[in-house]
Amino acid sequence: MSVAYARQEEWSIPQLYHLPAAKLDPFLNKLKENYTLIGPVVKGKEFVFAPLSDPGELSLHYQTTLLPPKKVLHLPFEVLFSFHEDQQIIETAQEQQQQIIFGIHPCDVHAIAILDKAYTAEYPDPYYIAKRRNTLLVALNCSEPGENCFCQSLGTGPELKDGYDLLLTDLGNGYLLEVGSPRGRELVQVMDLAPAPRVAMVEKQKVLDNARRKFQKKLNTQDLPGILEENFRQPIWEELMHECLACGSCTMVCPTCFCYNVVDKIDLNLKSGKRQREWDSCMLLEYAQVALGHNFRKDRDARVKQRIYHKLVYYEPQFGTLGCVGCGRCIHTCVKKIDITDVISRLRGE
Amino acid sequence: MSKPRVAVYKMSSCAGCQLEIINLEPILLDLLGAVDLSYFVMARRENEPGPYDIGLVEGAITCGEEIERLKKARQECHLLVALGSCACYGGLPSIKNWQPQRVVENRVYDNLAAIHSTTAYGIDYYVPVDAYLKGCPVSREELLDFIKSTLLGVRPYLRPHSVCVECKLHENVCLFVTEKAICLGPVTTAGCGALCPSRGKPCDGCRGPANDANAVSLARTMAAYGLHSQDIVRYFRKFAGMTSEFSKGAEAV
Ligand code: SF4
Ligand code: SF4
Ligand code: SF4
Ligand code: SF4
Repeated sequence: MSVAYARQEEWSIPQLYHLPAAKLDPFLNKLKENYTLIGPVVKGKEFVFAPLSDPGELSLHYQTTLLPPKKVLHLPFEVLFSFHEDQQIIETAQEQQQQIIFGIHPCDVHAIAILDKAYTAEYPDPYYIAKRRNTLLVALNCSEPGENCFCQSLGTGPELKDGYDLLLTDLGNGYLLEVGSPRGRELVQVMDLAPAPRVAMVEKQKVLDNARRKFQKKLNTQDLPGILEENFRQPIWEELMHECLACGSCTMVCPTCFCYNVVDKIDLNLKSGKRQREWDSCMLLEYAQVALGHNFRKDRDARVKQRIYHKLVYYEPQFGTLGCVGCGRCIHTCVKKIDITDVISRLRGE
Repeated sequence: MSKPRVAVYKMSSCAGCQLEIINLEPILLDLLGAVDLSYFVMARRENEPGPYDIGLVEGAITCGEEIERLKKARQECHLLVALGSCACYGGLPSIKNWQPQRVVENRVYDNLAAIHSTTAYGIDYYVPVDAYLKGCPVSREELLDFIKSTLLGVRPYLRPHSVCVECKLHENVCLFVTEKAICLGPVTTAGCGALCPSRGKPCDGCRGPANDANAVSLARTMAAYGLHSQDIVRYFRKFAGMTSEFSKGAEAV
């Protein structure tokens, strides 16, 4: 896959720009001429990523969103192709329009890097790849972590180091804008922006240091696989079995979950139909059921463990990184307030 | 090849699920191209005798006469389907089950001489059932999916998990977590497209327990949200109080 990012030191031309607050909307309007813009917007008391019809809808002061921006690369529901009695298969045409995810936070950028590995390496997923190729990331460093965020513990935030096309940091009077890829450089060229003064990098670190002090949750990653493997049988799992509602919300909102189910929708003529996929979740009873009805994870504690072990143990050997980026969505969304950071600190006896 | 013959039976119910069949109007003619609605008293003047390939039974069973009709329906149908939550679990009529029969009857009827009602049960209390189409009313889309799959001889995809899954797929603001409202979505079977939460109304549990419903745990959270135990009982007994899962929820606090 040809989505290349480089560390900014590798660039010789100026990579730092100043984007005054007053120029944000004109910048967005310029980008909108050639790209579909997707960014955080208000939905009730929450935020969601949505296509921006007007730059004014963008809410960069969000802390988190209901679903992660993953949803524009790996759609919650997606028709893969339609099929017909005469064996004809018609693939769904992939959107050719280039899109920008604007204001994506560092944790979610890291999550997309994990999805890139999952969907492009061993079993390339043409549906994901087609969208990913046309997607640029204009990231936003976090200055106000939310109450459930713990990216700091995982090195996935609040500061983003790579994986972006452009990176914004809110310096109060405007944004520091850093270029992270050739495609990102094309984006800044639509505006006549002044290079940022050197001191902007110092200001950026101040903003981030301030953010770093605000984290309320943490997850100690030291020897996580060891800790979890030692504690596969522990009273806490039984307790969680009684608590957890097996509702599936925690995985539905997770930016690194990649599981899906495939369902055929038959037309009423019974001669044609569509093959569709939708997000699936290992928290659901039917997930590990196989032909003839056997279920490998019938008990709820086995499913609670599957989610947590997959995120904190099983991703590492496959993808070289933990499967949790500390976005905190699973904590926020859980009606029972089951908290992955709390589970780990209890296992550590803290 | 003759078209599969479908029969629709009505027991104790509001006829809302049958109405959903009629509400398929925009595609009803296409549907009639695929099946014969051979017996459907609500929609046809003349009805044809059995046997039928698919029998859709609407309503709870609440008296002896219905038990007889249900048994006959079972005999004349190859597949027997519980259509809607009344037929699945007893549904709304089952809210009477927690009071003495005579007390309930007295409240509704002036003359009790001809009334011989029994505990309201879903139809599988009396006869084997091949499929359950849940909901109050039943979901048109699921009904259609069921019919199409049956005609093709494949297993229909009826979502077994919680309403939260569909709610999340539609990215609704969670009424429970964000609005601090009581929502039965986490323990209720999906398949409705998270109809109520998508319109800002908490799930009432009309589709009955999901496949791994943990109603006890949810009941504890409802209590922690300040709900009185009597109200928790009402929540769990509204549509599917006769199921073991929801009765555990009703008795949890
Ligand atoms: S969101 Fe909470 S209650 Fe629901 S499945 Fe996840 S851990 Fe269990
Ligand atoms: S496990 Fe939870 S905190 Fe970690 S990435 Fe997934 S949703 Fe975010
Ligand atoms: S197995 Fe579970 S935790 Fe892992 S990616 Fe799939 S849904 Fe997410
Ligand atoms: S609103 Fe109800 S159904 Fe939707 S996610 Fe929240 S608890 Fe589940």
